[in-house]
Amino acid sequence: MTPSPELTAADRGANSEREWFEDLRLERHAFTIRRTRREGKIAYEWSGEITDPPPLRESGKLDRAQCLEIYRFLLMNRIMEQQLENLYKQGQVVGGVYFGLGQEGNSVASAYALDAADWMAPMIRNQGSLLVRGFAPRDVMMQYMAKAGSPTGGRDGTSHYGDLGPRRMISPISMLGDLIPVMGGICMGERLQGRNVAAMTWIGDGGQSTGVFHEAVNFAAVQNLGLVLVVENNLWAYSTPLNEQAKVADLALRARGYGIPAVMVDGTDVLQVYDACRGAVERAHGGGGPTLIESKLMRMKGHAIHDAAAYVPPDLLEFWRRRDPILRFEGYLQQKSWLTAEAKQRLAAEVEQFMLAERAAAEASPMPDGNTALSGVYCEPGCHAVQPRFEAAAPALEAANGSANLTAVEGDAPHLR
Amino acid sequence: MLLTYVDAIRQALAEEMRRDPAVFLLGEDIGIYGGAFKATAGLVDEFGPLRVVDTPLAESAIVGAAIGAAYTGMRPVVEMQFMDFIACCFNQITNFAAKSHYRWGAPVPMVIRGPVGGGVHGGPFHSQNPEMYFAHTPGLKVVEPATARDAYGLLKSAIRDNNPVLFLEHKYLYRRVKDEIAEDGPATPLGLAAVARPGRDLSVITYGAMVHLAVETAAALAAEGIDAEVLDLRTLAPLDRAGIVATAKKTNKVLILHEDTRTGGIAGEITAILQEEAFDDLDAPILRLTSADTPVPFSPPLEAAFLPSAEGLKAALRRLARY
Ligand SMILES: Cc1ncc(C[n+]2csc(CCOP(=O)(O)OP(=O)(O)O)c2C)c(N)n1
Ligand SMILES: [Mg+2]
Repeated sequence: MTPSPELTAADRGANSEREWFEDLRLERHAFTIRRTRREGKIAYEWSGEITDPPPLRESGKLDRAQCLEIYRFLLMNRIMEQQLENLYKQGQVVGGVYFGLGQEGNSVASAYALDAADWMAPMIRNQGSLLVRGFAPRDVMMQYMAKAGSPTGGRDGTSHYGDLGPRRMISPISMLGDLIPVMGGICMGERLQGRNVAAMTWIGDGGQSTGVFHEAVNFAAVQNLGLVLVVENNLWAYSTPLNEQAKVADLALRARGYGIPAVMVDGTDVLQVYDACRGAVERAHGGGGPTLIESKLMRMKGHAIHDAAAYVPPDLLEFWRRRDPILRFEGYLQQKSWLTAEAKQRLAAEVEQFMLAERAAAEASPMPDGNTALSGVYCEPGCHAVQPRFEAAAPALEAANGSANLTAVEGDAPHLR
Repeated sequence: MLLTYVDAIRQALAEEMRRDPAVFLLGEDIGIYGGAFKATAGLVDEFGPLRVVDTPLAESAIVGAAIGAAYTGMRPVVEMQFMDFIACCFNQITNFAAKSHYRWGAPVPMVIRGPVGGGVHGGPFHSQNPEMYFAHTPGLKVVEPATARDAYGLLKSAIRDNNPVLFLEHKYLYRRVKDEIAEDGPATPLGLAAVARPGRDLSVITYGAMVHLAVETAAALAAEGIDAEVLDLRTLAPLDRAGIVATAKKTNKVLILHEDTRTGGIAGEITAILQEEAFDDLDAPILRLTSADTPVPFSPPLEAAFLPSAEGLKAALRRLARY
């Protein structure tokens, strides 16, 4: 097996000259995907070398307990998606199922970098982030099954739900890109109440082509809002490869055009993802404005369950199969002697058991009563209280960029309570 | 205080901002410049640049940010420089804000306000009446005041409402109509029409700048012995069905007048409501007078041909009175 091409000292030198840009990666993913004609058919062709990845990049920010907690979320994420696939095959899912296979490390580690007072909004593949933020696997399952007990009572599907309460999660809508300005607005609203928070969301290599992406990142930059935007560059947008989506191969470079910092990470390295996101979250808490993080990874299944992804060259999948984020993280835990073979087995069995119970609970939920469809179009008096919470020491509203006098939010991750 | 329509809007904004620290404004050129029509003049001096936010030229980002801020408990009021530009953020309004409460129980207490309408030779992109795109979308409220007093009172209610409200200000009225308005006066409830002129013989159901055309035309027709009632809808979503039915039952003859174009205008919806709820009370076919089904043309003679006219309204009302 060939070792992967590592970043050279020259690369790093070039990067360090650019203060706004940080590259945490330990390897370059050197391959190309081109459109060619083969036996009369147009198809995508891969060229490159199938290499093995380096060990993970040591974080220094995460201790053993945190790493094991992340590992548990990773297992839950993967097993939950296997359950969803089973439910679909049994005809229990309404509509399709979306998977984050190969992207679990990115979803879990990024969300894990948030504090309880921060906000988050998932995209469709970030099902691990829902678990980190405190939703149960049964919620995810019921939502796909359109059950009465689902977080939206069957009114919407997939990852389209949220919680303005303790989980501080905004529901996405299907239209890609539209979540980004909303997350900026979260920071604006919180700042007006005297707090600097981080608001994290994700966008794909496809979604970053939208006009609203540009509007929103520029807006957050000008307004100095604590947006943490993770661009999940998984090389495909449905069937469209990256090079037909953007002329730059490194989407992190776009940050330069907005005057904001960018970090590039290997999205299959949990520790890099965490470090980049935690750095961005802390910058937001300090009133330092938005950060763009490009996470390079690969969508390991089709766009959704109906899509066999026959357009993806098999070697490309093989290249990334060797970069399974969970296996790579397991390797790290074992090398640290934080996870014995026995502990691993015990944990896997425990999660499996838990997931079966969650699934049973989801299956037991009834379908919604059709009559419930007609209410709740408007928020009527008495239905929801809209209550801002102004800090006792109101911020000086005249403060130049709005952030200097504000209190940063204390670190208190919800999953560690 | 005797306030013009635009001054009444500024007065309502200032009073709501003083009353509730959750209210803040965002839009293009609304700070030091005071807005394209000066609706926010001087507010940045009182409330500072964090509550009167000059934004980049980016309607989707502005409305998106307002939605986000609303989720945290704030009450953002967005200014569209011209309501024509609302097309640029259609998705944020109809898909993000409008469906939020229904889908996941998250209210969006946000107002989007700005100038609509023609008669000022603004051409195809500075004269439109976009209300029906939004009145058709469940979850939105759509308001259009015709008087300074209603501009003041309805804007207060719109800001206090927990739903996304589109607040359409007719730019022809900004400096042409005035009312005596008391400081810290009452809010006017949304969803209720008002009788702008009582009458016995027939009803003109209308809103916005057309209320004035209707009231003036009714006064002229009084000399001919036609006593017209004018109902000002004030809110297009949710519609005051009871108010609409009440005027029809009173006069038994209805004409619906709007500056919006004809096909898919609110006149069609009101006609259907009357068929459903007041069919037996009608003594004449329901008539409608609207703008033509074209873009809003620029040149004054073309725009005059496009808009409903006093002469056209008189002729239609005489015809209705003859039944
Ligand atoms: C504005 C918009 N256009 C089209 C779609 C349909 N659509 C859903 S997902 C998708 C591909 C998204 O690719 P990417 O942003 O790279 O995210 P990924 O699926 O790879 O995670 C498309 C075209 C959409 N949801 N929103
Ligand atoms: Mg993609």
